[in-house]
Amino acid sequence: MSKYWETVRADIHRCVSGKETSVRRVLASIWNQMGLQAVLVYRFGQLLRAARRRILLWPLLPLGWLIYGVAVLWVRHAYGIRLALSADIGAGFWVGHFGGVEVVNCRLGERCSVGQQTRVGRVEDVNGPCVGDGAWIGAHARITGQVKVGEGVTIAPGARVTRNVPDRALVVGDPGRVVFRGYDNTRILPRAPAP
Amino acid sequence: MWSALIADARLCSRLRWPPGHSGLRRALIWFRSSGLLVLALQRVSYGYLQQRAQRGWTAGTILLRILIGLTRRPMMILTKCDVDDSIQIDPGVYLSDRGYLILGPVRIGSGTLIHERVTIGVRAGDPGKPVIGENVWIGPDCVIYGNLSVGDGATVLPGAVVSMSVPARAVAAGNPATIVRREFDNTALRGSLARDVDPQSLAPR
Repeated sequence: MSKYWETVRADIHRCVSGKETSVRRVLASIWNQMGLQAVLVYRFGQLLRAARRRILLWPLLPLGWLIYGVAVLWVRHAYGIRLALSADIGAGFWVGHFGGVEVVNCRLGERCSVGQQTRVGRVEDVNGPCVGDGAWIGAHARITGQVKVGEGVTIAPGARVTRNVPDRALVVGDPGRVVFRGYDNTRILPRAPAP
Repeated sequence: MWSALIADARLCSRLRWPPGHSGLRRALIWFRSSGLLVLALQRVSYGYLQQRAQRGWTAGTILLRILIGLTRRPMMILTKCDVDDSIQIDPGVYLSDRGYLILGPVRIGSGTLIHERVTIGVRAGDPGKPVIGENVWIGPDCVIYGNLSVGDGATVLPGAVVSMSVPARAVAAGNPATIVRREFDNTALRGSLARDVDPQSLAPR
């Protein structure tokens, strides 16, 4: 359970930096940032999934799934952000902007960032992409197929990734080409993760 | 501001319906085009920012602030557009009704058409914003980012990812974008809402 709260804390700390955390700031950034709302709804779904193993919690689950269903519908149709529970998203996930984000059937490492109109994985593919820690995925990018994307990878806006990508590479274009190896994307990350 | 709004409505109704349609239909275009609503709200917000910079907090700016604060989020959700308040949009611009527009350039020139699912914004980690000139045609699914300028009369074909400047009257296409042709007249393209470009018209003469 404490691991779950660590995950949620990491998600929130992507939007509120560690020093200036206060209840008011956290609530304000949840209200202002639709991406954070979507991530929190996804985490709530994960919590419900984990609660299946505890028989004592079963009476609460129908209500929980009802709330989750309404929230997911709102996030999907009002904001256009779809974070399916079939995706395994690590702690510290950041959705930059609303609109057309689709993360399904894939594995994302910790501290990943995605922009608007991003598609990671497809509904049809059961085995989707596997993205390493600290990846930065730009707007309109697409990662499809059973590919392995390394750690600290930067995927430029509009890139289409259909092949494996080594660690700390910069991928550009359609079809995606690795134009630079050893690219440090910590500079372009929106906010440093909490220490 | 009113003249700019009327110019937008004129352009939108001209694009949607060829000449000869009834005036009633044209008058009701505000209720039928979400792109126009987005533009109207952006113009009000831009005017508000300028007024506040000039006069500070007056009764008018406070009222405008409340109005904008109440309408922004519902409009964002209904139209699926996020157009930055500080953009200087010249009169007579068309934004797509299909939404998913995320715009943050410095300026958009008059006569520009922007289709759906377009992102115009900054390069991550670099505050430089793009400048869109006059009479530019931007197709669907485009991304334009970085400290660059898209020249007057330029054409950005659907699906292009532009991260370098496009000269005036040039055609940018591809991902990453290259200049596929210089000296292209996009008047015909800007005359209708057709979103697919005829490759014949682009072939080098």
